[in-house]
Amino acid sequence: METKPSNGSPAKFVDQLVVPGDVILDLSTMAEQTIKLGGGLRQDCDAISVIKAGILRFSKPNKYWVESSQKRYVPCAEDSVLGIVVDCKPDNFLVDIKGPSVAFLPVLAFEGGTRRNIPRFEAGTLIYVRVVKANTGMNPELSCVDVLETLGKKLPFEIAVGLNGRVWVNAGSPSIVIVVGNAIMKSESLTKVQQKIMAEKLLQRVQQE
Amino acid sequence: METDRKDGRTPNQLRPLKCSRNILHRAHGSASWSQGETKVLAAVYGPKAGTKKNEDPEKACIEVIWKPKTGQIGKAEKECEMIMKKTIQSICLLTINPNTTTSVIVQVVNDDGALLPCAINAACAALVDAGIPLKHLAVAICCCVAEEGSVVLDPTKLEEQQMRGFAYLVFPNSALSALPEGSYLVNGEPLEHGIITSVTHGVMSVDEYLKCVDRGRAACAKLSGFLRNSLQKSQFPSDTSSKAA
Repeated sequence: METKPSNGSPAKFVDQLVVPGDVILDLSTMAEQTIKLGGGLRQDCDAISVIKAGILRFSKPNKYWVESSQKRYVPCAEDSVLGIVVDCKPDNFLVDIKGPSVAFLPVLAFEGGTRRNIPRFEAGTLIYVRVVKANTGMNPELSCVDVLETLGKKLPFEIAVGLNGRVWVNAGSPSIVIVVGNAIMKSESLTKVQQKIMAEKLLQRVQQE
Repeated sequence: METDRKDGRTPNQLRPLKCSRNILHRAHGSASWSQGETKVLAAVYGPKAGTKKNEDPEKACIEVIWKPKTGQIGKAEKECEMIMKKTIQSICLLTINPNTTTSVIVQVVNDDGALLPCAINAACAALVDAGIPLKHLAVAICCCVAEEGSVVLDPTKLEEQQMRGFAYLVFPNSALSALPEGSYLVNGEPLEHGIITSVTHGVMSVDEYLKCVDRGRAACAKLSGFLRNSLQKSQFPSDTSSKAA
Protein backbone atom coordinates (compact mmCIF):
# COMPACT_ATOMS: atom_id res chain seq x y z
CA MET A 1 0.00 0.00 0.00
CA GLU A 2 1.39 3.35 -0.94
CA THR A 3 -0.84 5.66 1.06
CA LYS A 4 1.02 8.48 2.74
CA PRO A 5 -0.24 10.14 5.90
CA SER A 6 -1.55 13.59 5.27
CA ASN A 7 -0.23 16.64 6.99
CA GLY A 8 -2.54 19.03 5.18
CA SER A 9 -0.02 20.14 2.55
CA PRO A 10 -1.09 19.40 -1.01
CA ALA A 11 2.20 20.79 -2.29
CA LYS A 12 3.63 17.30 -1.90
CA PHE A 13 2.08 16.10 -5.16
CA VAL A 14 2.51 19.25 -7.24
CA ASP A 15 4.79 18.77 -10.28
CA GLN A 16 4.76 15.03 -9.79
CA LEU A 17 3.22 12.29 -11.81
CA VAL A 18 -0.25 11.32 -10.63
CA VAL A 19 -2.28 8.38 -11.88
CA PRO A 20 -6.03 7.78 -11.82
CA GLY A 21 -7.09 6.89 -8.32
CA ASP A 22 -4.66 9.13 -6.47
CA VAL A 23 -6.26 11.42 -3.93
CA ILE A 24 -4.40 14.70 -3.90
CA LEU A 25 -6.39 16.86 -1.53
CA ASP A 26 -8.38 16.21 1.57
CA LEU A 27 -10.98 18.92 1.79
CA SER A 28 -11.87 18.20 5.37
CA THR A 29 -8.56 19.71 6.50
CA MET A 30 -9.04 22.87 4.49
CA ALA A 31 -12.11 24.64 5.71
CA GLU A 32 -13.28 27.90 4.15
CA GLN A 33 -10.94 27.93 1.20
CA THR A 34 -12.00 28.22 -2.42
CA ILE A 35 -10.19 25.91 -4.77
CA LYS A 36 -10.49 25.84 -8.55
CA LEU A 37 -10.16 22.52 -10.32
CA GLY A 38 -8.98 22.28 -13.88
CA GLY A 39 -8.89 19.25 -16.17
CA GLY A 40 -8.13 15.76 -14.95
CA LEU A 41 -9.49 16.19 -11.42
CA ARG A 42 -12.77 15.25 -9.84
CA GLN A 43 -14.38 15.93 -6.52
CA ASP A 44 -15.47 12.89 -4.55
CA CYS A 45 -17.23 14.05 -1.37
CA ASP A 46 -14.31 15.37 0.65
CA ALA A 47 -11.48 14.15 -1.52
CA ILE A 48 -10.11 15.46 -4.79
CA SER A 49 -9.09 12.50 -6.91
CA VAL A 50 -7.28 12.20 -10.21
CA ILE A 51 -8.99 10.82 -13.29
CA LYS A 52 -6.28 11.26 -15.93
CA ALA A 53 -2.61 10.41 -15.61
CA GLY A 54 -0.26 13.35 -15.88
CA ILE A 55 1.72 15.91 -13.93
CA LEU A 56 -0.15 17.80 -11.26
CA ARG A 57 0.22 21.54 -11.60
CA PHE A 58 -0.69 24.35 -9.25
CA SER A 59 -0.98 28.02 -10.00
CA LYS A 60 -1.55 30.66 -7.38
CA PRO A 61 -3.77 31.40 -5.73
CA ASN A 62 -5.78 28.23 -5.80
CA LYS A 63 -5.99 26.45 -9.15
CA TYR A 64 -5.05 22.77 -9.56
CA TRP A 65 -5.01 20.80 -12.76
CA VAL A 66 -3.40 17.76 -14.36
CA GLU A 67 -1.18 18.40 -17.35
CA SER A 68 -1.22 15.62 -19.90
CA SER A 69 -1.13 15.28 -23.65
CA GLN A 70 -3.75 13.44 -25.60
CA LYS A 71 -4.50 12.97 -29.24
CA ARG A 72 -8.24 13.37 -28.85
CA TYR A 73 -9.76 16.73 -28.07
CA VAL A 74 -12.57 17.16 -25.51
CA PRO A 75 -14.41 20.43 -26.13
CA CYS A 76 -14.36 22.94 -23.26
CA ALA A 77 -15.91 26.39 -23.12
CA GLU A 78 -13.59 29.34 -23.88
CA ASP A 79 -11.23 27.27 -26.04
CA SER A 80 -9.99 28.57 -29.39
CA VAL A 81 -9.94 25.84 -31.99
CA LEU A 82 -9.47 25.36 -35.71
CA GLY A 83 -12.37 23.64 -37.39
CA ILE A 84 -13.21 22.36 -40.84
CA VAL A 85 -16.70 23.03 -42.21
CA VAL A 86 -18.48 19.80 -42.98
CA ASP A 87 -21.98 20.87 -43.92
CA CYS A 88 -24.27 23.92 -44.09
CA LYS A 89 -27.74 24.04 -42.63
CA PRO A 90 -30.26 26.91 -42.63
CA ASP A 91 -29.36 27.90 -39.06
CA ASN A 92 -25.93 26.44 -38.40
CA PHE A 93 -22.73 25.36 -40.05
CA LEU A 94 -21.60 21.87 -38.99
CA VAL A 95 -17.92 22.05 -38.09
CA ASP A 96 -15.54 19.20 -37.32
CA ILE A 97 -13.31 20.10 -34.34
CA LYS A 98 -11.78 16.65 -33.76
CA GLY A 99 -13.98 15.98 -30.77
CA PRO A 100 -16.50 13.26 -30.08
CA SER A 101 -19.25 15.05 -31.98
CA VAL A 102 -19.68 17.62 -34.70
CA ALA A 103 -20.04 21.23 -33.48
CA PHE A 104 -22.58 23.83 -34.53
CA LEU A 105 -21.58 27.32 -35.64
CA PRO A 106 -24.66 29.54 -35.73
CA VAL A 107 -24.95 31.46 -38.97
CA LEU A 108 -25.26 34.76 -37.09
CA ALA A 109 -22.29 34.28 -34.76
CA PHE A 110 -19.96 36.61 -36.65
CA GLU A 111 -18.93 40.21 -36.08
CA GLY A 112 -21.67 42.35 -37.62
CA GLY A 113 -23.52 39.29 -38.82
CA THR A 114 -27.12 39.65 -39.92
CA ARG A 115 -29.46 37.52 -41.97
CA ARG A 116 -28.49 39.51 -45.04
CA ASN A 117 -24.74 38.95 -45.04
CA ILE A 118 -24.38 35.31 -44.10
CA PRO A 119 -20.84 34.17 -44.93
CA ARG A 120 -20.65 31.47 -47.55
CA PHE A 121 -18.42 28.59 -46.46
CA GLU A 122 -17.97 25.55 -48.61
CA ALA A 123 -17.36 22.12 -47.18
CA GLY A 124 -13.65 21.94 -46.40
CA THR A 125 -13.16 25.58 -45.34
CA LEU A 126 -10.81 26.01 -42.39
CA ILE A 127 -12.01 28.45 -39.73
CA TYR A 128 -10.65 29.69 -36.42
CA VAL A 129 -13.42 29.74 -33.83
CA ARG A 130 -14.05 29.87 -30.14
CA VAL A 131 -16.10 27.26 -28.26
CA VAL A 132 -19.00 28.94 -26.54
CA LYS A 133 -20.85 26.04 -25.00
CA ALA A 134 -19.61 22.50 -24.50
CA ASN A 135 -21.96 20.39 -22.44
CA THR A 136 -21.64 16.65 -22.40
CA GLY A 137 -24.34 14.99 -24.41
CA MET A 138 -24.98 18.01 -26.62
CA ASN A 139 -23.11 19.17 -29.68
CA PRO A 140 -20.71 22.02 -28.83
CA GLU A 141 -21.57 25.51 -29.98
CA LEU A 142 -19.02 27.81 -31.60
CA SER A 143 -18.63 31.46 -32.41
CA CYS A 144 -16.38 33.29 -34.85
CA VAL A 145 -14.54 36.29 -33.51
CA ASP A 146 -12.15 38.64 -35.27
CA VAL A 147 -8.84 37.19 -34.20
CA LEU A 148 -6.46 38.88 -36.61
CA GLU A 149 -5.65 41.68 -34.17
CA THR A 150 -4.80 39.25 -31.43
CA LEU A 151 -2.15 37.50 -33.55
CA GLY A 152 1.06 39.35 -33.08
CA LYS A 153 3.35 39.91 -36.02
CA LYS A 154 6.79 39.51 -34.50
CA LEU A 155 7.96 37.10 -37.13
CA PRO A 156 7.11 37.21 -40.80
CA PHE A 157 4.45 34.54 -40.60
CA GLU A 158 0.90 34.15 -39.36
CA ILE A 159 -0.12 31.36 -37.09
CA ALA A 160 -3.35 30.16 -35.51
CA VAL A 161 -3.18 27.52 -32.80
CA GLY A 162 -6.21 25.49 -31.84
CA LEU A 163 -6.60 23.65 -28.54
CA ASN A 164 -7.91 20.70 -30.50
CA GLY A 165 -4.51 19.86 -31.91
CA ARG A 166 -4.68 21.72 -35.24
CA VAL A 167 -2.27 24.53 -36.18
CA TRP A 168 -2.50 26.81 -39.24
CA VAL A 169 0.59 28.59 -40.55
CA ASN A 170 0.73 31.11 -43.37
CA ALA A 171 3.76 33.01 -44.67
CA GLY A 172 5.14 34.77 -47.74
CA SER A 173 7.09 31.85 -49.09
CA PRO A 174 6.60 28.06 -48.70
CA SER A 175 10.06 27.65 -47.20
CA ILE A 176 9.13 29.81 -44.19
CA VAL A 177 5.96 27.78 -43.67
CA ILE A 178 7.96 24.55 -43.68
CA VAL A 179 10.56 25.93 -41.29
CA VAL A 180 7.89 27.09 -38.84
CA GLY A 181 6.04 23.78 -39.09
CA ASN A 182 9.21 21.81 -38.41
CA ALA A 183 10.13 24.06 -35.48
CA ILE A 184 6.78 23.47 -33.83
CA MET A 185 6.88 19.72 -34.33
CA LYS A 186 10.41 19.40 -33.03
CA SER A 187 9.86 21.56 -29.97
CA GLU A 188 7.18 19.37 -28.47
CA SER A 189 9.49 17.50 -26.15
CA LEU A 190 12.19 20.09 -25.55
CA THR A 191 12.62 22.41 -22.61
CA LYS A 192 12.50 26.19 -23.08
CA VAL A 193 16.26 26.55 -23.35
CA GLN A 194 16.53 23.72 -25.86
CA GLN A 195 13.68 25.22 -27.89
CA LYS A 196 15.50 28.56 -28.14
CA ILE A 197 18.71 26.88 -29.32
CA MET A 198 16.87 24.82 -31.90
CA ALA A 199 14.94 27.84 -33.17
CA GLU A 200 18.14 29.88 -33.50
CA LYS A 201 19.82 27.10 -35.48
CA LEU A 202 16.85 26.92 -37.84
CA LEU A 203 16.87 30.70 -38.32
CA GLN A 204 20.59 30.63 -39.16
CA ARG A 205 19.96 27.98 -41.75
CA VAL A 206 17.16 29.98 -43.32
CA GLN A 207 19.26 33.13 -43.49
CA GLN A 208 22.10 31.29 -45.15
CA GLU A 209 19.87 30.31 -48.05
CA MET B 1 6.03 -25.88 -0.06
CA GLU B 2 8.45 -24.73 -2.72
CA THR B 3 7.90 -25.96 -6.24
CA ASP B 4 10.82 -26.10 -8.65
CA ARG B 5 9.87 -24.14 -11.75
CA LYS B 6 11.44 -24.76 -15.13
CA ASP B 7 12.78 -21.25 -15.56
CA GLY B 8 14.18 -21.12 -12.05
CA ARG B 9 11.68 -18.66 -10.55
CA THR B 10 10.31 -18.89 -7.04
CA PRO B 11 6.56 -19.40 -6.77
CA ASN B 12 6.00 -15.73 -5.99
CA GLN B 13 8.24 -14.30 -8.66
CA LEU B 14 6.80 -12.64 -11.73
CA ARG B 15 8.32 -12.79 -15.19
CA PRO B 16 10.18 -9.76 -16.59
CA LEU B 17 7.68 -7.01 -17.38
CA LYS B 18 7.90 -4.64 -20.31
CA CYS B 19 5.49 -1.82 -21.11
CA SER B 20 5.58 0.65 -24.00
CA ARG B 21 3.05 3.38 -24.68
CA ASN B 22 2.12 5.50 -27.67
CA ILE B 23 3.47 3.02 -30.18
CA LEU B 24 0.68 3.31 -32.78
CA HIS B 25 0.58 6.74 -34.37
CA ARG B 26 -3.00 6.71 -35.61
CA ALA B 27 -4.68 5.26 -32.55
CA HIS B 28 -5.76 7.71 -29.88
CA GLY B 29 -4.04 5.60 -27.26
CA SER B 30 -1.93 2.48 -27.51
CA ALA B 31 0.23 0.29 -25.33
CA SER B 32 2.07 -2.98 -25.49
CA TRP B 33 2.55 -5.12 -22.40
CA SER B 34 4.69 -8.19 -22.11
CA GLN B 35 5.24 -10.58 -19.24
CA GLY B 36 8.09 -12.88 -20.20
CA GLU B 37 7.19 -14.27 -23.62
CA THR B 38 3.49 -13.37 -23.51
CA LYS B 39 2.95 -10.12 -25.39
CA VAL B 40 -0.25 -8.20 -26.08
CA LEU B 41 -0.84 -4.98 -28.02
CA ALA B 42 -3.84 -2.80 -27.16
CA ALA B 43 -5.21 0.22 -29.04
CA VAL B 44 -7.92 2.64 -27.92
CA TYR B 45 -10.04 4.76 -30.26
CA GLY B 46 -12.46 7.31 -28.90
CA PRO B 47 -14.58 8.69 -27.50
CA LYS B 48 -16.55 8.65 -30.74
CA ALA B 49 -20.07 9.96 -31.17
CA GLY B 50 -23.01 7.61 -30.83
CA THR B 51 -23.65 4.42 -28.89
CA LYS B 52 -24.61 0.96 -30.03
CA LYS B 53 -28.20 -0.17 -30.31
CA ASN B 54 -28.95 -1.74 -26.95
CA GLU B 55 -26.69 0.44 -24.87
CA ASP B 56 -27.73 3.12 -22.41
CA PRO B 57 -27.36 6.53 -24.10
CA GLU B 58 -26.82 8.25 -20.77
CA LYS B 59 -23.49 6.55 -20.30
CA ALA B 60 -20.41 6.03 -22.41
CA CYS B 61 -20.24 2.65 -24.12
CA ILE B 62 -17.09 0.50 -24.16
CA GLU B 63 -16.50 -1.92 -27.01
CA VAL B 64 -13.75 -4.55 -26.93
CA ILE B 65 -12.46 -6.42 -29.97
CA TRP B 66 -10.13 -9.33 -29.30
CA LYS B 67 -7.89 -10.45 -32.14
CA PRO B 68 -6.18 -13.81 -31.63
CA LYS B 69 -2.72 -14.48 -33.02
CA THR B 70 -3.98 -17.09 -35.49
CA GLY B 71 -7.27 -18.60 -36.40
CA GLN B 72 -10.78 -17.27 -36.63
CA ILE B 73 -12.70 -15.49 -33.92
CA GLY B 74 -14.71 -18.02 -31.94
CA LYS B 75 -16.47 -18.41 -28.62
CA ALA B 76 -13.31 -18.25 -26.53
CA GLU B 77 -12.45 -14.85 -27.98
CA LYS B 78 -16.01 -13.62 -27.39
CA GLU B 79 -15.73 -14.69 -23.77
CA CYS B 80 -12.47 -12.79 -23.35
CA GLU B 81 -14.08 -9.74 -24.95
CA MET B 82 -16.97 -9.87 -22.51
CA ILE B 83 -14.72 -10.25 -19.47
CA MET B 84 -12.53 -7.34 -20.56
CA LYS B 85 -15.55 -5.18 -21.35
CA LYS B 86 -16.99 -5.67 -17.88
CA THR B 87 -13.61 -5.02 -16.24
CA ILE B 88 -13.00 -1.84 -18.22
CA GLN B 89 -16.53 -0.62 -17.60
CA SER B 90 -15.96 -0.79 -13.89
CA ILE B 91 -12.83 1.34 -13.96
CA CYS B 92 -14.02 3.99 -16.43
CA LEU B 93 -16.09 7.00 -15.46
CA LEU B 94 -18.99 6.39 -17.78
CA THR B 95 -21.06 9.46 -17.02
CA ILE B 96 -18.51 12.02 -18.16
CA ASN B 97 -19.03 11.52 -21.92
CA PRO B 98 -22.56 10.21 -22.40
CA ASN B 99 -23.66 8.90 -25.77
CA THR B 100 -20.15 8.07 -26.95
CA THR B 101 -18.37 4.83 -27.78
CA THR B 102 -14.80 4.00 -26.89
CA SER B 103 -13.28 1.05 -28.75
CA VAL B 104 -10.50 -1.07 -27.29
CA ILE B 105 -8.81 -3.42 -29.73
CA VAL B 106 -6.59 -6.14 -28.30
CA GLN B 107 -4.13 -7.98 -30.55
CA VAL B 108 -2.39 -11.07 -29.20
CA VAL B 109 1.21 -11.03 -30.35
CA ASN B 110 2.40 -14.07 -28.44
CA ASP B 111 0.69 -16.37 -25.96
CA ASP B 112 2.88 -17.99 -23.32
CA GLY B 113 0.52 -18.25 -20.38
CA ALA B 114 -1.43 -15.65 -18.37
CA LEU B 115 -2.85 -14.13 -21.55
CA LEU B 116 -5.98 -12.47 -20.19
CA PRO B 117 -4.21 -10.65 -17.32
CA CYS B 118 -1.58 -9.42 -19.76
CA ALA B 119 -4.33 -8.15 -22.06
CA ILE B 120 -6.10 -6.35 -19.22
CA ASN B 121 -2.86 -4.64 -18.18
CA ALA B 122 -2.19 -3.59 -21.76
CA ALA B 123 -5.74 -2.24 -22.19
CA CYS B 124 -5.45 -0.25 -18.98
CA ALA B 125 -2.16 1.32 -20.08
CA ALA B 126 -3.69 2.14 -23.48
CA LEU B 127 -6.71 3.80 -21.82
CA VAL B 128 -4.35 5.98 -19.78
CA ASP B 129 -2.44 6.85 -22.95
CA ALA B 130 -5.66 7.91 -24.66
CA GLY B 131 -6.70 10.11 -21.75
CA ILE B 132 -10.00 8.35 -21.06
CA PRO B 133 -11.15 9.41 -17.56
CA LEU B 134 -10.71 6.52 -15.14
CA LYS B 135 -11.65 6.02 -11.50
CA HIS B 136 -8.43 4.11 -10.85
CA LEU B 137 -6.17 1.72 -12.71
CA ALA B 138 -6.55 -2.04 -12.89
CA VAL B 139 -3.70 -4.52 -12.47
CA ALA B 140 -4.22 -8.17 -13.30
CA ILE B 141 -2.40 -11.32 -12.31
CA CYS B 142 -2.74 -15.04 -12.83
CA CYS B 143 -2.41 -17.34 -9.84
CA CYS B 144 -2.56 -21.09 -10.13
CA VAL B 145 -2.87 -23.99 -7.74
CA ALA B 146 -0.49 -26.89 -8.27
CA GLU B 147 -1.34 -30.54 -7.69
CA GLU B 148 0.00 -30.49 -4.15
CA GLY B 149 -1.92 -27.36 -3.22
CA SER B 150 0.79 -24.72 -3.41
CA VAL B 151 0.10 -21.38 -5.11
CA VAL B 152 2.23 -20.28 -8.04
CA LEU B 153 2.10 -16.82 -9.68
CA ASP B 154 2.35 -15.85 -13.35
CA PRO B 155 2.67 -19.27 -15.00
CA THR B 156 4.02 -19.97 -18.46
CA LYS B 157 1.85 -21.94 -20.86
CA LEU B 158 3.47 -25.26 -19.97
CA GLU B 159 3.00 -24.63 -16.26
CA GLU B 160 -0.61 -23.58 -16.81
CA GLN B 161 -1.42 -26.86 -18.50
CA GLN B 162 0.06 -28.88 -15.63
CA MET B 163 -1.77 -27.03 -12.87
CA ARG B 164 -4.88 -28.25 -11.15
CA GLY B 165 -6.63 -24.92 -11.39
CA PHE B 166 -5.92 -21.26 -11.97
CA ALA B 167 -7.51 -17.90 -11.33
CA TYR B 168 -7.16 -14.58 -13.13
CA LEU B 169 -7.55 -11.77 -10.61
CA VAL B 170 -7.84 -8.06 -11.26
CA PHE B 171 -7.31 -5.53 -8.48
CA PRO B 172 -7.43 -1.73 -8.35
CA ASN B 173 -4.01 -0.13 -8.19
CA SER B 174 -2.44 1.22 -5.04
CA ALA B 175 -2.93 4.95 -4.98
CA LEU B 176 -1.02 7.79 -3.39
CA SER B 177 -3.31 9.60 -1.07
CA ALA B 178 -3.34 12.88 0.77
CA LEU B 179 -5.94 11.50 3.13
CA PRO B 180 -4.90 10.31 6.57
CA GLU B 181 -4.49 6.57 6.65
CA GLY B 182 -7.67 4.78 7.29
CA SER B 183 -10.09 7.51 6.39
CA TYR B 184 -10.96 6.39 2.84
CA LEU B 185 -12.22 2.90 3.49
CA VAL B 186 -14.93 0.87 1.90
CA ASN B 187 -16.48 -1.51 4.40
CA GLY B 188 -13.44 -1.31 6.63
CA GLU B 189 -10.83 -2.16 4.01
CA PRO B 190 -8.70 0.13 1.89
CA LEU B 191 -9.66 0.46 -1.77
CA GLU B 192 -6.90 -1.68 -3.20
CA HIS B 193 -8.14 -4.74 -1.36
CA GLY B 194 -11.20 -4.95 -3.56
CA ILE B 195 -11.36 -7.39 -6.45
CA ILE B 196 -12.56 -6.07 -9.79
CA THR B 197 -12.66 -9.35 -11.69
CA SER B 198 -12.03 -12.98 -10.89
CA VAL B 199 -12.07 -15.76 -13.50
CA THR B 200 -11.35 -19.27 -12.35
CA HIS B 201 -10.73 -22.52 -14.18
CA GLY B 202 -10.21 -26.00 -12.80
CA VAL B 203 -10.64 -27.31 -9.30
CA MET B 204 -9.52 -25.64 -6.07
CA SER B 205 -10.74 -25.47 -2.51
CA VAL B 206 -12.00 -22.28 -0.89
CA ASP B 207 -8.83 -21.97 1.21
CA GLU B 208 -6.65 -22.32 -1.82
CA TYR B 209 -8.66 -19.66 -3.60
CA LEU B 210 -8.28 -17.27 -0.68
CA LYS B 211 -4.55 -17.96 -0.64
CA CYS B 212 -4.44 -17.11 -4.33
CA VAL B 213 -6.23 -13.84 -3.63
CA ASP B 214 -3.74 -12.88 -0.92
CA ARG B 215 -0.67 -13.68 -2.98
CA GLY B 216 -2.18 -12.04 -6.02
CA ARG B 217 -2.92 -8.87 -4.09
CA ALA B 218 0.65 -8.62 -2.84
CA ALA B 219 2.01 -9.13 -6.36
CA CYS B 220 -0.38 -6.54 -7.73
CA ALA B 221 1.06 -3.96 -5.38
CA LYS B 222 4.39 -4.52 -7.14
CA LEU B 223 2.72 -4.42 -10.55
CA SER B 224 1.04 -1.12 -9.84
CA GLY B 225 4.39 0.31 -8.72
CA PHE B 226 5.84 -0.77 -12.05
CA LEU B 227 2.91 0.74 -13.95
CA ARG B 228 3.36 4.04 -12.15
CA ASN B 229 7.06 4.11 -12.99
CA SER B 230 6.44 3.33 -16.62
CA LEU B 231 3.89 6.15 -16.82
CA GLN B 232 6.48 8.45 -15.26
CA LYS B 233 8.97 7.72 -17.98
CA SER B 234 6.38 8.25 -20.69
CA GLN B 235 5.76 11.81 -19.60
CA PHE B 236 9.20 12.66 -20.94
CA PRO B 237 8.84 11.43 -24.51
CA SER B 238 12.52 10.78 -25.09
CA ASP B 239 12.03 7.25 -23.77
CA THR B 240 8.59 5.72 -24.07
CA SER B 241 9.41 2.21 -22.99
CA SER B 242 10.29 0.86 -19.59
CA LYS B 243 11.42 -2.50 -18.35
CA ALA B 244 11.37 -4.26 -15.04
CA ALA B 245 12.63 -7.63 -13.94
